[in-house]
Amino acid sequence: MADPELSVTTAQMGKDLAHDVGSTGEQVRRTGRLALYTRRFLRRPSAVAGVVVLALLVLFALFGDSLTRWGYDEPDFLSLASPPSGEHLFGTTQGGSDVFALVVRGLGRSLMIGILSSLAITLVAAVVGTAVAFFEGWVEKVGMWILDMLLVIPSFLLIAMIVRSSSGTSGWLWLTLGITAFGWVGYARVLRTLTLSLRELDYVHAARFMGVRSFTIIWRHLIPNLGSVLIIQTVLGVVTAVNSETALSFLGLGIKAPDTSLGTILQMGQGVVQTSPWVLLAPAVALILLTLSVQLIGDGLRDAIDPHSRSGGKA
Amino acid sequence: MVRFLVRRLANYVVLLFVAVSFTYFVASYFMDPRSNYLSRHPIPPKASIDLSLTAANINDEDPLLGRYWRWLTNIVLHWNWGLSPDQDPVGAAVSGRIGASLQLVTLATILSIVVGVAIGVFTAIRQYRWQDRVLGGLATFFLVIPTAVLALFVVLGAIWINKGLGFRLFYVTGLHSYEGSQFGPWLLDFLQHLVLPTIVLTIISAVTYHLTQRTYLLDTMNADYVRTARAKGLPLNKAIRKHALRTSLIPTAVNVAFSIASVFTGAVITESVFAINGLGRYFVTTIQQNDINGAVCIAAFAGACTLAGALLADVVVAWLDPRVRLS
Repeated sequence: MADPELSVTTAQMGKDLAHDVGSTGEQVRRTGRLALYTRRFLRRPSAVAGVVVLALLVLFALFGDSLTRWGYDEPDFLSLASPPSGEHLFGTTQGGSDVFALVVRGLGRSLMIGILSSLAITLVAAVVGTAVAFFEGWVEKVGMWILDMLLVIPSFLLIAMIVRSSSGTSGWLWLTLGITAFGWVGYARVLRTLTLSLRELDYVHAARFMGVRSFTIIWRHLIPNLGSVLIIQTVLGVVTAVNSETALSFLGLGIKAPDTSLGTILQMGQGVVQTSPWVLLAPAVALILLTLSVQLIGDGLRDAIDPHSRSGGKA
Repeated sequence: MVRFLVRRLANYVVLLFVAVSFTYFVASYFMDPRSNYLSRHPIPPKASIDLSLTAANINDEDPLLGRYWRWLTNIVLHWNWGLSPDQDPVGAAVSGRIGASLQLVTLATILSIVVGVAIGVFTAIRQYRWQDRVLGGLATFFLVIPTAVLALFVVLGAIWINKGLGFRLFYVTGLHSYEGSQFGPWLLDFLQHLVLPTIVLTIISAVTYHLTQRTYLLDTMNADYVRTARAKGLPLNKAIRKHALRTSLIPTAVNVAFSIASVFTGAVITESVFAINGLGRYFVTTIQQNDINGAVCIAAFAGACTLAGALLADVVVAWLDPRVRLS
C-alpha cells in the first residue's frame, strides 16, 4: 500500500524540482530519492560493514547445516563435551550435540523471531499510535490512559507469563506473539506524539472534510508520512526483540528443547562455563555479531533517511 | 504543588489497580498450576490436586471472577497476597528478597549514573573528536550486547583471573559467604561477591545515561542563551557548566527517577547468572512453578515502583524546570 504513495510523492518532488530548475535555467541531473538514500547510506563504512556481516549471518543460518554432518537434534554419543575439532567445528555439549549445528539452527530461530516480531510490533504500534492521535477527544484520552496502564507493569514480566504456557516445536511462534503482544506499547506512545503535528496537515483536513473514511486516512496519509521513522524503528526493533528472546530463552522461559535458539544454547553453556567454555563462545559471538550489525544498519539508515539528519555533507 | 501531586497520585493509584488486575487475569489465563501435578509420577488423585489448588485459590475449575474477588479482598482487608502452589505465603517471600535486590543494585545504580553522565558530558564537549568516536563505538557495542552474554563473559574473565592469581579474588555466585561476625572481613567478602554483578549492571545502564546525556547537552550547547553567555565573555567551560549543563540535567534527572523500577526488576538476568537470591530470580521461579499469586505479587511491586518513579519524576521536573507550570 505504501509503495505507490511513496512513488507518487517522489514523482511530485521530481516535477517540482524540474520546475525550479527550469525557472533558473540550469541543467541539473535529478537524483531520485532512493539513489540519495543509498548514496548517504553507503557513505558510512560502519553501515556497509553491518550489511555485509548481517548478510553473512543470514547465509550461515540458511545454508550452514550443509557444512556439518550433524543435525542439531542428533547427538554424537561418542564425543560428549569434546572441544572444537575437525569433526565438530565448535565442539559438542554435555549431551553430545554438535554446537555448530545448534548455532546454525539457533541463529535462524533468533533471526526469525527478531524480524517477525519487530515487523508486527511496528505495524501494531503504527496503527494504534496514529489512530489514538487522529481521533482526538475522548478516544485520545482513553487510549492514552490504556497505553499508560499497559506500561505500568514491566513488559518483560508480562511476556514471561504468557510464553510460559507454550512449548514444543510451535513454541517459537508463541514467543514471537508474546514479544509482540506487550512490546508495542512504548512505540505507540512515541508515534502518537509524532502524529500530533501530522493530523493538522492541510491534506489530512481536506481528506477529512471530503468524507474519506478515517482508517483510509490513517492508512494512506498518516502512516506513510511516518515512513522513515517506521523503517528505522523496525530495524532497531530487531535488536530489542532478539535481546528479549535471548533473555527469556536464557532464563528457561522461552524456546525449549527439542527446539533451540541462541539464548537456549547460552543457558546450556552457563552450567559448564568452567569445564567446556566453547559451548558458550560460539552462540555469544553469533549474538554479538547479529545485534551489532543490525544496530549499525539502523544507525546508518537513520542518518540516510532522516530529513533532520546532519550526518552527511551534500546530498 | 500539593494539589497537583495529590491529583497525580490518585490517577496513579487507579492505574496501578487496573494494571495489577489485568496482570492477574493474564496470569490466571496463561499459567497452569495443575500441570505441576500432572507431570508427577505417579499422578496424584484428582481430588487431592483440587484440594491443594483450591487452598491456594488457584484452581482453574473455580470461576475466575470468584478467585479474583477472593484474591482482591484478601489483599485489601488483610494485606495477604495469597499462597504459592506449595502453600507458602508469597508476600513474605517477596519482601524477604527485596533486601537482596537492594544490596545488589544500589551501588550499581549510583555508579552508572555518575559514570554515564560524566562520560556523556565529556563526549558532548568533544563532539566528533576521537574520544567521542571511541567511547561512542564502545557504547553502541554495550548497548546491543545481550545482558546474558555480557554477564557470562565477565564470569569467564573472572575465572581466568582467579586461575592466573592462584587464589579466589572474585566470587561468581551469591552475595555472602563469610559466616563470622566481624565487620572488616564481612565487608571484604561482600565486595568480592559484589564486584562482578556490579560491573555488569553498571555497564548496561551507564551506556544509556552516556548516550542520552550527550544528546541533551549537545542540544543545549547550541541554544541561544549559551551563545549569549559566550558573547558576553564567559569562558567556554564556565558557559557550559553554568548554563548548558544545568538545563541538560533535567531530562537526565527524570530518567533517574524512572529507573527506580528497573532497580528491582532489571536485574533478572544478572541475578540468575550470579545466583543471587533476589526478586528477579524469584520471579523466574514463580513462572517455572506456575505460581500465579507470586508472579502477580512481583508484577504489582514492580508496577508500584514504576509509578513511584513517575511521581518522583513529576516532582523533579516541577522543582528543577521553571518552564513547567503546575496549574
